[in-house]
Amino acid sequence: MYIYDKFDHAITNERVAEFSQQVTRRLKGELSEDQFRPLRLMNGLYLQLHAYMLRVAIPYGTLSSVQLRKLADIARKYDRDYGHFTTRQNIQYNWIKLDQVPELLAELASVEMHANQTSGNCIRNVTADQFAGVAGDEVEDPRIISEVIRQWSTFHPEFSFLPRKFKFAVTGAAKDRAAIQFHDIGIQVVKNDAGEVGYAIYVGGGMGRTPVVAPLIKPFVARSELLSYLEACLRVYNMHGRRDNIYKARIKILVRELGPAEYARQVEEMWPLTRAAGVDIDPAEEARIRAFFAPPAYETIAEPVASFVDAKAKNRAFARWVQTNVHVHKAPGYGAVTISLKPIGGIPGDASTVQMHAIADLSDKYSLGEVRVTHVQNLVLPNVKQADLFAVWQRLGEIGFAEANVGLVTDIIACPGLDYCSLANARSIPVAQQLSTRFADLDRQHNIGPLQIKISGCINACGHHHAGHIGILGVDKAGQEFYQITLGGAGDETASIGTLLGPGFAGDDIVGAVDKVVNTYLELRQAPSETFIEAYRRVGATPFKESLYGRR
Amino acid sequence: MAQAKPVNKMLTANRLRNGETLYYTAAGAWSQYVAEAKVATTAEDAEALAKIGAAAYAANLVIDVAVIDVTPGAEVRPAHIREVIRATGPTVRTDLNKPVTPPQR
Repeated sequence: MYIYDKFDHAITNERVAEFSQQVTRRLKGELSEDQFRPLRLMNGLYLQLHAYMLRVAIPYGTLSSVQLRKLADIARKYDRDYGHFTTRQNIQYNWIKLDQVPELLAELASVEMHANQTSGNCIRNVTADQFAGVAGDEVEDPRIISEVIRQWSTFHPEFSFLPRKFKFAVTGAAKDRAAIQFHDIGIQVVKNDAGEVGYAIYVGGGMGRTPVVAPLIKPFVARSELLSYLEACLRVYNMHGRRDNIYKARIKILVRELGPAEYARQVEEMWPLTRAAGVDIDPAEEARIRAFFAPPAYETIAEPVASFVDAKAKNRAFARWVQTNVHVHKAPGYGAVTISLKPIGGIPGDASTVQMHAIADLSDKYSLGEVRVTHVQNLVLPNVKQADLFAVWQRLGEIGFAEANVGLVTDIIACPGLDYCSLANARSIPVAQQLSTRFADLDRQHNIGPLQIKISGCINACGHHHAGHIGILGVDKAGQEFYQITLGGAGDETASIGTLLGPGFAGDDIVGAVDKVVNTYLELRQAPSETFIEAYRRVGATPFKESLYGRR
Repeated sequence: MAQAKPVNKMLTANRLRNGETLYYTAAGAWSQYVAEAKVATTAEDAEALAKIGAAAYAANLVIDVAVIDVTPGAEVRPAHIREVIRATGPTVRTDLNKPVTPPQR
């Protein structure tokens, strides 16, 4: 993985020193809250319901075991012994004290981490496929270009005050595990007819109040010209994005109002200028960054691995966990383990200090010291030998993270919701917990098959409800929590926005309503192999509406 | 003459230094316990609370100042669920919840 050079260290440490001074001045009253608020947001510090919240960036979801241990220690020292992994592959701490933030940021910087640009109207943390570098289906490791974008966008003076926040996602494979079409810019690594590696560029996707699936703006940009093209994309947005109305300020509105073709034309017109400005990365620098993502020296292992096959045969629970939680690895004899942070009845994405330490230890012992964060709020050990999977599974069981449910109905995304968030209208986590408990039976989960439930506590959609096969949106109805159901969303390469089924359900009724939706699917599917989303796309919303609201 | 609408309000904020949720008390202090909040029952008293909040904000003691509705009754309880959660803590981590009154010494 990428290791900071002297410039990375210098700018990170300088930012810590600068923000520390700003905190001191704020505490002395030399800065007002109006003056300080934009400064703290640029450093990832929010005020939520109970305390300050700090959002720490985890670039493209890649962590070393050393970094994860530091995150665990920070949870213990500065928070209440836990952290929350988010849909942007970041971690949030919920109980932060302002006067301790400078010390905390210095500790983060000591392991090459920070909270820069995790808020504010700037380019946010770049997200990527959690199986980057280990998935057999990828054209190229998406972290290479993600790191290039991270460096280009860090403290970029032209893009520090955009009309609104700006999010990138990168996938290295045709199979989209990063929801790229729900981002301001989504990038897919592709090969052209000549076999050259380049990038397909999708612009103007997003969730929130106005969900949009990003259109393809440019099918192929050469590797050597990516940054000048992206700079042209951003510059057109920065000039013409709607600063007059916060609800219309995202690039998705600009692209929609101009039309994708006209937006693309304006980018093409701008591109020669950014190209001439020398923005594109020097090949030697690109090679330097690329080298950090060279594959590790995998052992040559012949498959099948007898001990692994034997363990699966003897232990059904282990075999089931392998089925759902172990992804095929490009190196024979290895697997990529998804650690479900969704124990039955648990809080999606939360991990305690003890759990984070245990995962860091597992990573050192079995996964070459690397951990990934997924946008589905799980963690990944990317490089585990198949012969070690049983031991990993046993240890995960000891810390409560061996649930065999990845991709199933209890692998639920939930934003912090009204339990923590000052923007939320309704609680998300209790709904996730109740659904998880309702569908706890593993036989039933496997019978239902792949099904993604995503829950947001407000229209800002941090819980990705628009992209859920079943999406749940919490709303405030005369002071009461109500929940609307959308169906048919998808965040993969077949991206689609869920359709609202009808009036919302009270908190006591939402779990039963989702159960009805699932049972309706089970009744109408043509075969167990027809997944929920496939069945929905075949039959549409009507049978589900009728099961929830009756015939009208 | 039309009767004035009943008023039940209290003043809340978060402490600048550590972000903790606070309530303004009848003793003229800021308490982390919602049961100690002073309840204004007239429009004039509610206005006075708003002024106290604005002054504390200007003095850099607190942020996110708000005068919020209280449910009428013997106990001081915020009217909206958002404020109930703010007063006691996340409903999903009751181990981290704080009491509504100070612990007995």
